[in-house]
Amino acid sequence: MLSRIAESLFWMARYMERAEDTARLLDVHYHMLLEHSPQSYQLRWEAIIAISGETDRFFKLYHEANPHNVFEFLGFRDDNPNSVLTCINRVRENARTIRDRISREMWEDINSLYHRLRGFRPETEIAVGPHRFCNEIKFGSFRFHGVTDDTLPHDEGWQFLKAGRSLERAETTAHIVDAEYHQLLTSPSSEADVNNHQWMAVLRSVAAYEIYRREYHGRIEPEKVAELLLLHARHPRSVRFNISTLHTALQAISGSGPGSYATEAERLTGKMHESLLYDRIEDVFARGLHLFLTDLEKTCRVIGEQIARSYFYYAVVA
Amino acid sequence: MQTPQAVRDDLFRGYQTGTFFDEMFAGEGELRPHYAPLHEELANMLPAEFEERRRLADSAFLLQGITFTVYNDGQGTERLFPFDLVPRILPWHEWDVIERGLSQRVMALNLFLQDVYGPQRILKDRTIPRSLVYSCRHFRREMIGVEVPRGIYTHVAGIDLIRDSRTGDFLVLEDNVRTPSGVSYVLENRLVMTRMFPRAFQVYEVMPVDHYPLELAQILRSLSARPSDPVVVVLTPGIYNSAYFEHSFLARQMGVELVEGRDLIVDGDIVYMKTIRGLTRVDVIYRRLDDEFLDPLAFRSESLLGVPGLMGAYRAGNVALANAIGNGVADDKAIYAYVPEFIRYYLGEEPILKNVETRICSRPDDLAYVLEHLEELVVKAVGESGGYGMLLGPYSTSAMIEDFRKRLVADPRNYIAQPVISLSRVPAYDAPASKMAGRHVDLRPYCLFDGEKVIIVPGGLTRVALKPGSLVVNSSQGGGSKDTWVLRRGSGD
Repeated sequence: MLSRIAESLFWMARYMERAEDTARLLDVHYHMLLEHSPQSYQLRWEAIIAISGETDRFFKLYHEANPHNVFEFLGFRDDNPNSVLTCINRVRENARTIRDRISREMWEDINSLYHRLRGFRPETEIAVGPHRFCNEIKFGSFRFHGVTDDTLPHDEGWQFLKAGRSLERAETTAHIVDAEYHQLLTSPSSEADVNNHQWMAVLRSVAAYEIYRREYHGRIEPEKVAELLLLHARHPRSVRFNISTLHTALQAISGSGPGSYATEAERLTGKMHESLLYDRIEDVFARGLHLFLTDLEKTCRVIGEQIARSYFYYAVVA
Repeated sequence: MQTPQAVRDDLFRGYQTGTFFDEMFAGEGELRPHYAPLHEELANMLPAEFEERRRLADSAFLLQGITFTVYNDGQGTERLFPFDLVPRILPWHEWDVIERGLSQRVMALNLFLQDVYGPQRILKDRTIPRSLVYSCRHFRREMIGVEVPRGIYTHVAGIDLIRDSRTGDFLVLEDNVRTPSGVSYVLENRLVMTRMFPRAFQVYEVMPVDHYPLELAQILRSLSARPSDPVVVVLTPGIYNSAYFEHSFLARQMGVELVEGRDLIVDGDIVYMKTIRGLTRVDVIYRRLDDEFLDPLAFRSESLLGVPGLMGAYRAGNVALANAIGNGVADDKAIYAYVPEFIRYYLGEEPILKNVETRICSRPDDLAYVLEHLEELVVKAVGESGGYGMLLGPYSTSAMIEDFRKRLVADPRNYIAQPVISLSRVPAYDAPASKMAGRHVDLRPYCLFDGEKVIIVPGGLTRVALKPGSLVVNSSQGGGSKDTWVLRRGSGD
């Protein structure tokens, strides 16, 4: 497989995941915060922008964070490299460069999502709220993975898609936990009741609310939320689950057997997986959650770089 | 409720054949026999039903991303290549003439290229002036003495034909032997038509076209210096190229990699592609990149699309390119005038398909004539394609004519002139009027040469000038396309 094609598959999946993650965040918080007082919601909107990693860019464009301009910025702006629409454009662009290698159904599905989204007008959507728009992305992403799994051979190219998606998702979940912890535990107005409500939103934004209810029964406690999102073995958005998926994909690509590794990306992923597997949430908190997550996010970035170095941009001896 | 009788002819109400050769009607209301079953199906259709199929067809093209990119105001926009649902039908006996004529022509063009980059007999015999050949913009001195695999230069040729309304005969308008595009539309148009008009395909025996990629792949594989399991790739300039869809389509249909210049690397005169497992040797490149962009070391040094060292690998015989480098000398519009002569010279045969009468402005007599008759002639720049650099005398303002007069005098070698040919017409759907109207068409068949024989998928791309009265069929100038049906011998006659 050409390096360029593997790279496009990897990034196609990452951008699709990024679009979905942003849409979820936007949708859940938008509806929850509408029920809040203007004062607290202003703070929270800024937190969402922070999670997207684009605070500086945002405040260059707007002087305050309110539901409308946050939606516009995260949903539609093409000068925001991580807006939902920018991500979907990139998914399509990547798909277009490799459309001879993906299935016809995948291409048609991505292309039709793109054309449907182009039919959305920011002004209209801002007026009716983000739900319709966000749902289109969410289900667009579900369909993308369904169509992919059912029409693309499960070969190394498919493994690169898996790798891209799980790496992006692990990083995002870690980032959300980190940002929310910081935000919710340091904010002065964090009454117990409000907190509970906001943690519910956090869980919903990563599709974990129902699982939480089933697994923990009681009221929502930040430590348990962290445990679920970081260490849960089966929840498809937990960091551990995704690092495990990534590890499997990388091993399938390199062909290395259990207990060994062929690339630096594989070594780092394996090591991180071990820690997520054997650490308990108490251990994580004992070390300091923020420190733990900062390390984890940094390692995720290094893994991305190492994948590129091993497969996309290796030095050619000529 | 309307009765079928009342519906009849609705789409064809007020249809005029005018003074043109109409391919459906021999005269007002007089159908040519091979169009009768199709006309029957269309005539029984309400404009609204037809519109519905048109919408379905358009959305199929859009969904598959069968678009081309137009560059104006510096920003590329993706556009649909307009598709007209009324097929163009050629009975077998007409196609037979075209097929034999094209085979002969492609053979002669290939022999000419072998000669011009080899022994140059035709120049020594003075059958064609050496200065004319050497002054072609796309003549490549670097190719003299290079042995191309199996002696094939014109692996793929797209020869543009038009039907002259006065005689009803097909004439050759232009040869394209560099990187002719459009064949993907031939295949996709057919696919859409079989879905939109399944019944018509039961009535007619339409000859299939979908074996094109297989034939092409076979020829490409045969070029490899390493006979067992050669690696073939399609080289594209990338997604911003207007024909990108076609490049990816062909790669997919042939089951080979689609590569960009940055995927390839040359080491020790061997071409490799960069894969996730290291370097893999490449044997054959079907390149959809113009000569001058192929290798920044040999041609334009600023090209980022090409592969440094490719020319060296080609010269060493370690990689095959299709089409060959330097083919542009054979489809130069001034050289075109000599192709009938090539056929006589190399094959000892009379050309089956005639050229359009052509004046070569580098000849003083011809230039004088052209300057006299600019209002009646079509003047074309010799190295251009796609309908650019052209003057349509009868349709131009005097300012445009004067502008061309200056250009002609300044650089006569760069121009040829031809009479305006009244192109034949085929009914096409005129959406604003919601009925059929006659529109001018041309035909570009795609000819593959395997070193011994020419293989042509029956039909080709029928391009249609959708603007009323327009003679320009190029997609960049508001043209569209039609499916082209060649009928099996005995069907529809």
